[in-house]
Amino acid sequence: MQRRAFLSAVAGGWVASSVLPDRRPVHGRIMGASHSVGHALRGNDARPAALNPADIDAALPGREIAAPAPFPDRTDVLIVGGGASGLSAAWRLAALGVESVVCELEPFVGGTSTYGTAGASAHPWGAHYLAAPNPEARAALRLLREMGVVTGWDAAGRPMFDGRHLCHAPEERLFYAGEWWQGLVPVDALTADEREEMRRFRSIADEWTTRIGSDGRPAFDIPVRLSSKDPDVLALDRRSFAEWLTANRFTSPFVRWYVRYAVLDDYGGEPETISAWAGLHYFAARKLKSQELLGSHFLVWPEGNGRLIRELCERSQANVYTNALVTSLTEERGSVRATVLNAYTGERRTIEARAAVLAIPAFVASKITRIGGAPWPKRTASPWVVANLHTGWPANPDLPWDSVLFDAKGLGYVHAQHQQTVVTEQPVVTYYRAYGDADVAGARQSLLAKPWIALAEEIIADLMPAHPHIRDEVERMDIMVWGHAMPRPEPGFLGSDPFAGSPLISERIAWAHVDQAGIALFEEAQDRGVRAAEAVAPLVGKDPGETWL
Amino acid sequence: MTKQRRFVEPALLGSVFVIATSGLVYELVSGTLASYVLGDSVTQFSLVIGLYLFAMGLGSYLSQFLEGRLIDRFVEIELGVALVGGLSAPLLFRTYAVQGAFRPLLYGLVVITGTLVGLEIPLLLRLLKFSLDMKELVARVLGLDYVGALVASLLFPTLLLPHLGIHQTSLLFGFLNAAVAFATTFLFPIERERLVRLRVECVLVLMLLGSGFFVVTRFVDRFEAQYFGAPIVYSMQSPYQRVVVTQSPRQTRLFLNGQLQFSSDDEYRYHEVLVHPAVAALGREPRRALVLGGGDGLAVRELLRYPSIEHIDLVDLDPAVTDTFRSLPLAKALNLGSLDDPRVTVRNMDAYKFLEEPGTAVDLALVDFPDPGNYAVGKLYTDTFYRLLRERVGVRGVVVVQATSPQYARESYWCVVTTMEAAGFVTAPFHAYVPSFGEWGFILAGAEGTAPPTALRIDPSQLKYLDAAVLPSLFSFPRDLGRVEAPVNRLNDQALVATYTREWAVWTR
Repeated sequence: MQRRAFLSAVAGGWVASSVLPDRRPVHGRIMGASHSVGHALRGNDARPAALNPADIDAALPGREIAAPAPFPDRTDVLIVGGGASGLSAAWRLAALGVESVVCELEPFVGGTSTYGTAGASAHPWGAHYLAAPNPEARAALRLLREMGVVTGWDAAGRPMFDGRHLCHAPEERLFYAGEWWQGLVPVDALTADEREEMRRFRSIADEWTTRIGSDGRPAFDIPVRLSSKDPDVLALDRRSFAEWLTANRFTSPFVRWYVRYAVLDDYGGEPETISAWAGLHYFAARKLKSQELLGSHFLVWPEGNGRLIRELCERSQANVYTNALVTSLTEERGSVRATVLNAYTGERRTIEARAAVLAIPAFVASKITRIGGAPWPKRTASPWVVANLHTGWPANPDLPWDSVLFDAKGLGYVHAQHQQTVVTEQPVVTYYRAYGDADVAGARQSLLAKPWIALAEEIIADLMPAHPHIRDEVERMDIMVWGHAMPRPEPGFLGSDPFAGSPLISERIAWAHVDQAGIALFEEAQDRGVRAAEAVAPLVGKDPGETWL
Repeated sequence: MTKQRRFVEPALLGSVFVIATSGLVYELVSGTLASYVLGDSVTQFSLVIGLYLFAMGLGSYLSQFLEGRLIDRFVEIELGVALVGGLSAPLLFRTYAVQGAFRPLLYGLVVITGTLVGLEIPLLLRLLKFSLDMKELVARVLGLDYVGALVASLLFPTLLLPHLGIHQTSLLFGFLNAAVAFATTFLFPIERERLVRLRVECVLVLMLLGSGFFVVTRFVDRFEAQYFGAPIVYSMQSPYQRVVVTQSPRQTRLFLNGQLQFSSDDEYRYHEVLVHPAVAALGREPRRALVLGGGDGLAVRELLRYPSIEHIDLVDLDPAVTDTFRSLPLAKALNLGSLDDPRVTVRNMDAYKFLEEPGTAVDLALVDFPDPGNYAVGKLYTDTFYRLLRERVGVRGVVVVQATSPQYARESYWCVVTTMEAAGFVTAPFHAYVPSFGEWGFILAGAEGTAPPTALRIDPSQLKYLDAAVLPSLFSFPRDLGRVEAPVNRLNDQALVATYTREWAVWTR
């Protein structure tokens, strides 16, 4: 009797565990860019639903300043937007002794370089690395020098880096044909044709890297405004990268995948939807080839570019107001007036400033200023999904920083604790997926309509080939949906007058955003922010002195 | 009833076979263990066999006092054999590892097992006497008994020990004994209430031994004992690595992740050359020292020979290692309790982190990490790490680094030298022959002016290997170990990990 009961209990357990699908619940939620608040700008004076304080994650930066603080009545320079551009402007102004106030719509600072601190490690919520900047990206190098990441300059004038911040080996791996390969190109698994095509692609990219245009400038540079205006180079902007690839006989599945992966990662666009100029810029703009960068030239921190945001905040001692939605900005009689909505309380306030820096994308900036004739470029913004997976994986000293799955929907994941010298158990990994096809509005709407569980299931399914037990291994998955993550450099994005223009869009308002360049890189954001700060400094009676650019 | 009888006889005779086989297996397990651990296999086997046979005789003699409910007795004795014999190997190992009373337990277990097995055969004879005549009965039972012994003695060295290992062999035969007991309850009529109790006991013993077989020894025994070539007396899995201590008659050895760290046979060579040339190169009395890695406390033991030592920080990531070498008697006998010395502070943290935090300058830093076989350890062999180390020892301090074998991994060794030089050290590479490892490489380093020392700062009578004549010879490299071109090992490429893996693969293939 007892034996039978025992046996049937054992058998029952076995049947249950083998027949019933194991749906261990993964927990998590959607964090996020405040679409409802932002979309209030669409209607003329629509009042958004006030934010629910419980929705603000304590682990996001700026939470401590999210409590309803009364906005100031006046300041010298009002900076609209607390992302990399706005904070760089604040950093530059602080060095000149100019008082500024930063108004950020979201409950957190950093824009798409923001980060989280919940769980076992700080982790990125957006941009997660900075390639070692070219010597021309002087603002970025100045910040890195202040941080101690750049330790000095070598005899050739190239920056030298503290090895602790360069991505430690192993840098990346690729899941291809059922197994992991070190590096992004599984040379031994490719056909001879694919290898040859890869080699040819690299040699063309190398040629473009060293090519100098007819005006004596490099064909591609960062910041992009320093690139050549040679018409032969600019002609690349007239067609898509996919067309260029086909015209140059790059047709093998692996090479097409490799290129697609790269441009999705940097531009959020497929080769079909981005300009050939931008596509080649990705492979040919980085010029720094010193000995110490042979291993990896990526600067990496647990919180990704959130580290740079933190440093900018600290160094600028910026007065940052989060949940602060600027609904209009007007210029009159030598001053600037902004109407600011506290998304937390619904209260409105006017801030008067002597000048303003608009560090926000063109589609928002155009709505709040209504300045006629301002040079707003029309940009397509790519939606992104970023998820942080708090895994139960065991310690693995050889886990690389970046893990990529061939032919997956997403771009794989990065390991937040990679730069730690101690091997950690339960790594936090950040998964990325860019929606790169032409229908961005459709993708955005569908993403914003999806509940957490649907997004989580898609991510699990995407990682399943390489991690069959991922459902059981993830303790928690938080997801951020970025409706307008970054401008997409579509064919023709350089316009008729590339790299031109002053940052000032009116007498007292400057615009600083990567939308100007059309390419979302940290150096670009910094360059724009610093340039705008130096342009408005004389308006508040400060001589910017020698430029930081 | 007659039909049932037909099965009973072969079944009981079958159990004679199992009992005989397992009896001899337990005897062999005990003998093997005793000779592993205590050495002197002739004495140990002879004692175990003698005691065991004597105990069997004792059991046979005592069987006459068992009366009534013979089936119950048989089942219970069989379960007793299963438990005592089955658990004998794990029990003995555990006792040895914690330095318990190994000998009394060994001989006690041999006597108990022998006695119980000795009780069984007469009991079986009595159970079978109703169905067979005496002549046939004795012939069959004793015949099977000796065949079982032969089978056991053939299986044990050829199949069982190499494939199952000693723990699983012992547990497997315990399980078989218990299975025989369990089967017996189905063959004989037993009163219902006693039947239930007996079967529950059988199931409990079966579950205990079965789970023991699959869980406790699955990894330790079968794979590792073969790999390590000697019984494991202590093993544990920490978050960072697998710590294994093995013991053979001659030597105690420590493995981390399967990599030999030291053998008690010749570790003195390794640790003497790690410590004393560096102290000699210091040119003054050592006061403050830093040991990075080396959680076994053996380098600290050597350092503590200098009365001038005031303080030693031992930084080892893994508390599992330092705790083992602070508590395991076997280990304390080797390091002379150095980790508990009041002058020593054990810090379980990452050496990298330790150097990044501000700290007091030290006279000496001994760097004794595992070889750079993976990227996590490889970080501790990079230029960035050596820069931090150089800051810590200042211009007056001396550093010594263990740097794998210049014989087996020549480029790797010189890569570490190149890397230390790139970090600003002046180096004095040296090597020594450590039989367990082969030719082994070290690097003495310091500020401008660092050179091979000419005289020891300790009386050689305290040492076993080094003396004034050997010291200078360490710094001379024969042509086949001499310097080769090698890259600087940086964090962002870790060229050393690939080089090291490639070079060692040739020797471990």
